[in-house]
Amino acid sequence: MLRMENVSKIYRTDLVETHALRKVDLHIKSGEFVSVTGPSGSGKTTFLNLAGALETFEEGDYFLDGHNVKGLSDDKLSEIRNQKIGFIFQSFNLLPDLPLFDNVDVPLRYRGMSAKERKERIEHALETVGLASRMQHLPTQLSGGQQQRVAIARAIAGDPLFLLADEPTGNLDSLMAQQVMELLEDINSKGTTIIMVTHDDQLARRAHRNIQIFDGQVSDIEKSVADDVIRSA
Amino acid sequence: MFSYNFQLALKSLKERPALTLLTILAIATGLGLYTTVKTMSYQSSQVPLAHKSKNIFLLQMDNREITADAVEHQARMVDTTYKDTLNLMQLEMPGVKQSFNWSTYGILNVEDENINPLQTTAAVVNSSFFTMFETPFLYGNGWDKTTEESGEAVIIISKLMNDKLFGGRNSVGESVRINTHVLKIIGVLDTWYLSSKFYNRSFWPGYPDNFFIPYTFAMDNNLPRSAGFDCWAANADISRSFRTENKDRLINSECAWVTFWAEVPEAKVADYRQQIMSYMESEQTLGRFPRELAMYLTNLNDQYNYVNGRNQFLNTFSVLATLFFAVCLLNAVGILLAKFMRRKKEVSLRRALGAKKKTIIMQHLLEVVIIGLLGGLLGIVISYFGLQGMMSIRLYSSDYTVRIEDIQPLFQLNWVMIANAFVTGIICTIVASIYPIWRLCNIPPASQLKSQ
Repeated sequence: MLRMENVSKIYRTDLVETHALRKVDLHIKSGEFVSVTGPSGSGKTTFLNLAGALETFEEGDYFLDGHNVKGLSDDKLSEIRNQKIGFIFQSFNLLPDLPLFDNVDVPLRYRGMSAKERKERIEHALETVGLASRMQHLPTQLSGGQQQRVAIARAIAGDPLFLLADEPTGNLDSLMAQQVMELLEDINSKGTTIIMVTHDDQLARRAHRNIQIFDGQVSDIEKSVADDVIRSA
Repeated sequence: MFSYNFQLALKSLKERPALTLLTILAIATGLGLYTTVKTMSYQSSQVPLAHKSKNIFLLQMDNREITADAVEHQARMVDTTYKDTLNLMQLEMPGVKQSFNWSTYGILNVEDENINPLQTTAAVVNSSFFTMFETPFLYGNGWDKTTEESGEAVIIISKLMNDKLFGGRNSVGESVRINTHVLKIIGVLDTWYLSSKFYNRSFWPGYPDNFFIPYTFAMDNNLPRSAGFDCWAANADISRSFRTENKDRLINSECAWVTFWAEVPEAKVADYRQQIMSYMESEQTLGRFPRELAMYLTNLNDQYNYVNGRNQFLNTFSVLATLFFAVCLLNAVGILLAKFMRRKKEVSLRRALGAKKKTIIMQHLLEVVIIGLLGGLLGIVISYFGLQGMMSIRLYSSDYTVRIEDIQPLFQLNWVMIANAFVTGIICTIVASIYPIWRLCNIPPASQLKSQ
């Protein structure tokens, strides 16, 4: 479903070249729950940006759902983000002046769906995260955990190929983090692939597989374990 | 998608009302002053009879003596002599119309004792003046050639005078007295406003003359001649007396005071010019036209271009207003940039969630179009008051010797200028927003989405 071959990302200025990712080879299969860990500055964010088609890269190939993403136009990348990827951010990134319903509606609007279909999907997504009764509330009226659940609802409403979660529990206390993690596991158990960046080793261990990034290089430290899990599923 | 973008645009307008208002004010102020000047410029450059102005020519023949100075522009050339006028009127050329006019003055009286006598100017014209210049008639008509040749005492009055002297009723058949002469009214003109009085070459703004008298009557009764009066050779020393006396000598003098017009179809201009040159050559053999033969045919468009080009005040003011507008637009660029860049996180999020660049551009363009429309609307209000102010300055600077009704149309907004202000407002706002929108769209989405 997601395959990177020899992908490198270099940030260049007039004076310096920074190799953020070096020759990454990676294959993530459909239905996997993958955690991505690594120290600060190791290239986790760059990896996430490339996986989320938010940034372009110079070397290698990135196949998403069988199609090479490299060299695609900005419009095409927008389409891919809209239709195949669901984003969950550490700071939720909800639009504060829009009710929950309209927040979840944002990616669906850009997909050009009919009003009826959008409504059905939004209601279903909010039901999944347990916030159907608060559709007309503003994000500021919710707790941090609830806001992250809204962000998850927004990510899953479009029925994407996979979710990219960037430290989804980073801004939450342990109880709320637990609830959010359970929600993500629940979503994964229904077949949605999840790639989650985290600093929390405990959470990382709950994934089927852990990818560690260090100095721009990727290593699957528990690949065999993850493979067993997937095989037995 | 359009309705969604429109909703977002409206929401964005309300988001930072102070910045929105500042942008609108910057555009409105610049546009207001710009429209004020453009309106004055537009109104004063409106060439009458636009459908045929390129075919209506002022004819001038250089009959000056050999030592006369060269003129800087043909528009400064002298008018036509009376004998040339009569001779030229004899020329026959199918499709070509000719007319002429000059100015006179006198004391005008009516029978109604409640109306005080008034000192007035009048236009002395021939019968084809009314058809060539398409004067609108409220009552009656112009005079025909027979009436003209018999020297009948007839007169055509303006609507303004008809209202003043006869309370607006149909006064055809009534009489007025100019000095000691009684003239019968045969026509009343409808409202006829000219951006400037071209036919007597004064190019003074306002309504045309209030009275029109046949030239035969004016000459038979030796009505005084006013305005430009250029005499040459032996007549130069007594030229002043020609205004009011010495009519018999005047008729054959080399004094030019008649403004001569010809309406010539484009295809016949060369022939007409040739015909005039032939006439001058024949007159030269009789000892006239001592200089190298020169004649000028200047159409109305060229005359207006020349007069407006010399309006230094309006030209300078126009440049200043354009510069001021440019400064206001630069301000608008700055304000829009500040306004839009506050939105970079939201735009980055929308881009991450699938919004294409063109969708973001459309959303923001809709917003600036609304700002441009509001700026245009407010700019029109500002220009209305600007024009009122400019008119007051004009009245004050002339010590109130200019009549307000004569200059009011020059300071009036019309639909053309209103539409122009809207279009200019929108286009300029869009231009001003190009850089801010470009900056906003080119922010890498990922850079704004990481937790801070």
